[in-house]
Amino acid sequence: MKIPLSWLSEYVELPATVEELSDLLTFSGIEVEAVETTGGAPAGVVAAKVLTCVPHPDSDHLHVCEVDAGTGTPATVVCGAPNVEAGGTYPFAPLGTVLPGDFKIEKRKVRGIESFGMLCAADELGLSKDHSGLMVLDGAIAAGTPLSDIVGAPETVLEVEITPNRGDELSLIGVAREISALRGVPVRYPAIDYPVGEENIASAAHVAVEVDAADCPRYTARLLRGVKPGPSPEWMRRRLEAAGVRAISNVVDITNYVLLECGQPLHAFDFDRLAGGGIRVRRAKEGESLVTLDGVERKLTPEMITICDEEKPLAVAGIMGGEESGINDATSSVLLEAATFSPSRVRATGKALGLSSESSYRYVRGVTPDTVDFGARRAMHLFCALAGATACDGVLDAYPAPQEPLLVRCRREKLETLLGIETTTDEMARIFSALGLETAEKTGDAVVVRVPLFRTDLTREADLIEEFIRIYGLGRLPEVPPAARLVPGADDRPYTAKQRLQRLLAGAGLTEAMNYSFTAPALLDRFGSDAARRVQLCDPLSAEQSVLRDSLLPQLVENLGTNVFRQVPEAALFETGRVFFLDKDGTPSEEDRLAVALLGAVGATGTAKYRAVSEEQMFAWIRGLWETVAKTLKLRGAQLRAAERPCVQARRGLDIVVEGKKIGHLGLLKKSLAAEWRIRQAVGVLEVSLAPLLAAGGKGKRPVPPPAYPSVRRDVALVVPAKTKHEDVLKAARKAAPKELEKIELFDVFRGKALGEGKKSLAYAFTYRAADRTLTDEETNAFQEKINTALVSALGAEIRKG
Amino acid sequence: MNLSELESLTTRAVADLSAAATPADLEALRIRYLGRNGAVNDATAALKAAPPAEKPFWGKAVNAFKSRTEKALADRRAALASAAEAASDDFDPTLPGAWISPGTLHPVTQLIDRTTAIFRRMGFTVADGPDIETEHYNFDALNTPADHVSRDTQDTFYLPAARLLRTQTSAVQARYMEANPPPVRIVCPGRCYRRDTTDATHSANFHQIEGLYVDRAVSLANLKSDIDHFARELMGPGVKSRFRPHFFPFTEPSVEVDFSCHMCGGKGCRVCKHSGWIEIMGAGMVDPNVFLAAGYDPDAVTGYAFGMGIERLAMLLFGIDDIRRLYENVVPYLSQF
Repeated sequence: MKIPLSWLSEYVELPATVEELSDLLTFSGIEVEAVETTGGAPAGVVAAKVLTCVPHPDSDHLHVCEVDAGTGTPATVVCGAPNVEAGGTYPFAPLGTVLPGDFKIEKRKVRGIESFGMLCAADELGLSKDHSGLMVLDGAIAAGTPLSDIVGAPETVLEVEITPNRGDELSLIGVAREISALRGVPVRYPAIDYPVGEENIASAAHVAVEVDAADCPRYTARLLRGVKPGPSPEWMRRRLEAAGVRAISNVVDITNYVLLECGQPLHAFDFDRLAGGGIRVRRAKEGESLVTLDGVERKLTPEMITICDEEKPLAVAGIMGGEESGINDATSSVLLEAATFSPSRVRATGKALGLSSESSYRYVRGVTPDTVDFGARRAMHLFCALAGATACDGVLDAYPAPQEPLLVRCRREKLETLLGIETTTDEMARIFSALGLETAEKTGDAVVVRVPLFRTDLTREADLIEEFIRIYGLGRLPEVPPAARLVPGADDRPYTAKQRLQRLLAGAGLTEAMNYSFTAPALLDRFGSDAARRVQLCDPLSAEQSVLRDSLLPQLVENLGTNVFRQVPEAALFETGRVFFLDKDGTPSEEDRLAVALLGAVGATGTAKYRAVSEEQMFAWIRGLWETVAKTLKLRGAQLRAAERPCVQARRGLDIVVEGKKIGHLGLLKKSLAAEWRIRQAVGVLEVSLAPLLAAGGKGKRPVPPPAYPSVRRDVALVVPAKTKHEDVLKAARKAAPKELEKIELFDVFRGKALGEGKKSLAYAFTYRAADRTLTDEETNAFQEKINTALVSALGAEIRKG
Repeated sequence: MNLSELESLTTRAVADLSAAATPADLEALRIRYLGRNGAVNDATAALKAAPPAEKPFWGKAVNAFKSRTEKALADRRAALASAAEAASDDFDPTLPGAWISPGTLHPVTQLIDRTTAIFRRMGFTVADGPDIETEHYNFDALNTPADHVSRDTQDTFYLPAARLLRTQTSAVQARYMEANPPPVRIVCPGRCYRRDTTDATHSANFHQIEGLYVDRAVSLANLKSDIDHFARELMGPGVKSRFRPHFFPFTEPSVEVDFSCHMCGGKGCRVCKHSGWIEIMGAGMVDPNVFLAAGYDPDAVTGYAFGMGIERLAMLLFGIDDIRRLYENVVPYLSQF
């Protein structure tokens, strides 16, 4: 809301400076968002007469003038305006003046002649956009007269934010009331009296409210005759425009002026156009419509309250009037509506129509029956004074259930406990009364106050406690030592487990990424997820963000693409985040996941970074990373099983299985997918559900002491068919192994012509150890021989002696 | 040869040996001074020929000759050898190091970790709640009825089956209190969603951290001192907080909390827009209606609650100029944090 200060100062005495006022308002809960100065003459600019004016010797368009600015000594000024002439009177900015745009006037040389100030055009003064020539002033004005005396002083306008609970502050008087409470100075209310003519409204018009009193608690109508439409006076136009409202004509301007002044929305109907000469407040009928003042035809529903004449809707209650019954140049009789409507009804109607206005903004925040009278009478006063109108006697007032001020009790002890301060009921009563809350009852323990109707936000003790501390001052809260306090807590373990995982991955060289929860369905489609189970937003911001992600991988791979585009040669990214699905019954649900995407030589160091990364290498990295995670989280019994996934290359993917349940997968991204982001290298991906991962981990084994006897190692190179898998070797070897076999390590893989077509060599180190003795060579050889035999028969392996 | 001749011979031999330029020169000098026919022989002969009274002096001088020249020879030999080794060595210690360089945690994660760590030291535990909420927990249980204007301030994403994406982590408050009796002392970091058009300072998808403390006599003064403590822990020892009255449906009284600017110490700078203060969080005393909705007795307990935006904190503390960079995931950018 915009508050022109000169206007506000009419209702209450303001602090000396704008800064003090800003602070005062800010610390009472009215946040000052901006302070602007608009219109008016810049300080220091005066009217000046040009005494002499001769062409500049070195220019064909400049003039050198002697200017009388009322100081007694003429000043030399070089001027480039086409309309400057001797004898003319113009605005003059002397040295040191600051013009709009932070333009400071200083002495300067113009083509060799010193100029002491500037004669100004209207745009240079911020008064209009006119730059055709100097602003010409009336020759009768004395030199030296401040320009502000001629065109008015600049207006300082505060832009404030009124919180939604304080509908009563959405007006200048509302803000003035707050300042009055804070500073202990009175509010100066404007005049609301007006002379009345002989005619009584009751003989000319009628009002019938046909909706529940809750929907329209009060409806009043007053009648004006002989209204003369025309422009409003200059002061009113200036104020409206400073407050951000366009001045239109006196009738409309007066209703807007009163709205800004006291917060009461008003509506002026052209009385002669009302069929049947009266108002019905009723629900719209099915099929009815109304062309509102903005020229749009609005379809109405029975959920909406409308203001009608005997035939048709004239206005949507509390939101906007219709074009047809509006004021025009021929209007002479005005029916003035001042009413209150249910905030929730106005809010719902406004939402349904996609329509809001200054009026509806106030109605949804609560306009109360007590401002109805004030607002209507204030408008009548102005109509009579400024629009030549004659007021009819009387008022049609439908107010079936007059509201009584609420009595609210505030206990001192509760207040003291909640705020952590000590006070007395005397102090409480004093603060409340400054806010216009009269004391109805007071003991040593409690104060009961009578809450004026306009304070709809004050209905409970807690509300009064807030009012108390606001005025008492939040800055006066006592300093108490901060206290650590242990209470039976929430289960921290999932959070700390996730934290450990994140730190582990960052330590392992991965960068943590973070993506939006919503994404484009087309992106998820590419990764082959089940479209039927996706959670759609009902009202997405854009098609690119219209579904919730059902996997972290698509965006993470897209991030790899962004990095490639930015010429980043390698990226190891991980994200821990939520994914979303529809359950079988159609309810959206969510799950925490971890995903990893690797591109480039992320697992290499030094100059090895610059070698091309083979598929085997990338697979080993993504698998190795998973094994590191599983080991660090002490995840026992995690298995990897061959599996096909839509986004993973055939035969290059594994499912992660824990306790018999698939909890995720890893592998190499499909090449066609990677190519969508112009990625031509192998991409390692991993995605796993977080809850089973973090829940299953952490249970370490009992420690085993270091072995007492040495181990013995035997190396064997096997030539096997190229399709033979490492795991096949392990299986066959373990079947034939004695309990003394401690571990089997693969230390070389070799393919070469010498081995023959379709063959490869795998070299293994077998380590044997006995718990109770040192193994002999003979024993070990026998163990190994047995395993070798098994490998030969199970895999068709050939043992290479080396 | 007399004794003083021997002494000057010693000095010259040491000087010659120490100055030998090559191993061959050194060998020639060794032969000249210490060889079978070298100067050492003359000295030994002179010792033998010396009268008995002078013998002890000659003995000392000859030993000095031997030990000093031998030491000079050995030192020079070692020096020439190491010079030769250095000359032939191509080891390059200026090559870049090679170890997997660590990655980084996202700035949002770092700020969540820092803030929760501070609150955990103060006895708060970390609670969690779903991103997908019901109207009940996100609004109704937080004293924000359906037809009330306060809903308009948080433009909401709605989902099928009458669900929505939570607009605030405060939803966890309602869930937690419903499931746990007082006292309660929790913080809950998490993702929130609002229909904000994305620009340099707004994101439809952002993070908050919520705090809630409910007990028998928790006061606004406790909130102030706990927040002051948090401000110092997070931003530095000189940082203070101040309260401004505000409105939130779920707290009464409600305040907005400013921290004194950590960059300029409150004198005014670009970061605090020359005000000396930076708006950090919303807070207040839990509204009695929130207690009632959770099944708590508002006459038996009081509590405070607060909430703040993580991205905003990250931007302030790291000097990030545009919130969108936090979701771009460019490695060289993120690796700076």
